[in-house]
Amino acid sequence: MNPLRILYDLLLTKASYTIIPMLILMVGCGGPPAQNPLLTSATEEYNAAKQDDMVVRFAPVALKEAEETLEISRELWTAKADKSSVEHYAYLAKQKTFIARETAQLNAANSEISRGEVERQQVLLEVRRSEADRSEARAQRALLEAQSERTLAVEARESAEQSRQTAMEASQRAEESRQTAMEASQRADLLAQRVNELEARPTDRGLVLTLGDVLFEFGKATMHSDGMKSMENLTTFLQQYPGRNILIEGFTDNIGSEAYNLELSRNRANSVKSDLVNRGIAESRIRIRGYGIQYPAASNATEDGRQKNRRVEVIISDQEGNIVDRIR
Amino acid sequence: MKLYQKLFICVIGIGLLTACGSTSPPNQQLTETQMVIQQAEQLGADDYAPLEIREAKIKLGLAREAVEAKEFDKAIRLAEQARVDAELAQAKAQSGKAEKTVAELRESIRVLKAEIERNQRTN
Repeated sequence: MNPLRILYDLLLTKASYTIIPMLILMVGCGGPPAQNPLLTSATEEYNAAKQDDMVVRFAPVALKEAEETLEISRELWTAKADKSSVEHYAYLAKQKTFIARETAQLNAANSEISRGEVERQQVLLEVRRSEADRSEARAQRALLEAQSERTLAVEARESAEQSRQTAMEASQRAEESRQTAMEASQRADLLAQRVNELEARPTDRGLVLTLGDVLFEFGKATMHSDGMKSMENLTTFLQQYPGRNILIEGFTDNIGSEAYNLELSRNRANSVKSDLVNRGIAESRIRIRGYGIQYPAASNATEDGRQKNRRVEVIISDQEGNIVDRIR
Repeated sequence: MKLYQKLFICVIGIGLLTACGSTSPPNQQLTETQMVIQQAEQLGADDYAPLEIREAKIKLGLAREAVEAKEFDKAIRLAEQARVDAELAQAKAQSGKAEKTVAELRESIRVLKAEIERNQRTN
């Protein structure tokens, strides 16, 4: 049959008004394979997902479903099925590819969560351990601090105690010093009083007590009873100050020979010494010396002066018993 | 019979097949799609896949309209697409939440590690 004849026949029929456009449409749809944009896009998405290791690894089933759906779309397209069918399956394939991606992400995330939970548990353990370490270190430090504070407190108390004792001792020493000073002062007062009683006068050589001529009878060595008062005072003094010694010096006027006066002055001094020894004073504490007419205390030209020269002087030593001798 | 008559019958037949591929409404598919959409919403699709869930709902609505219009094939396709959209929304919601959990876990591990470091420093 001639195809041209068919066309001709068709053009002659009334039905041709509807049939011809339909034929043209059918030829257009099933004609030379033009690309379907939605199928192309779905194929690209699928290929990209298949190249993605993560999708292949974590969502193989979902990827397979996408592939199967894409295959349907492709077959429909190859069979020149209607566009809407091809695109329907292309759409489903594309969405399934996305689902595969999301599923892969979900599975990857879940896998990471499992690993993360394990890590978190380990880290938690570490935290507890480090906290325990820290608490222990803190407790240790606190203990050390407490110990050192206690030591400091003990030391402070001891130091305070020592200070108190030192202060007390110092106070005692001060008191002792005060008493010593007071006693010394009292002793000095007493000495001064005794010296006053003796009617002794302080000189460069020490205290000097002068027993006047009136105590001795002319040309004799014996004392008047009036001199006894002075002797009593001297005895009392020497008894109270046993550390002090005395030097008794005798002097005369210039009446008579020098040798006679020297003898006389010595005798008078000795007479005083004997009296003191009789009163209980140790002989070793008493030295005597006669000077005769030497060292007149006044002029021998008058009776008054000569009377002053007839005398005995008692020199009282210092506390150690030393007496400075007369320098010629 | 002449050829054009055969062609005509053929065309009509194809047309009938296309128009009346299904003769009953796809109630089962609509119900299932609706369930998938609900599941997706419960999984948080509104937050994690708002576009996908919206698309699914629109297509499900269109599918119902197609059922009303007795266009059952169209209804089936719309229902299928709505379902795959809803499934994608589910997947997105789940993976999004999992990613969030991963991030939180990482952060918590980071914080704990920092604490360990601090403890060791203050020792």
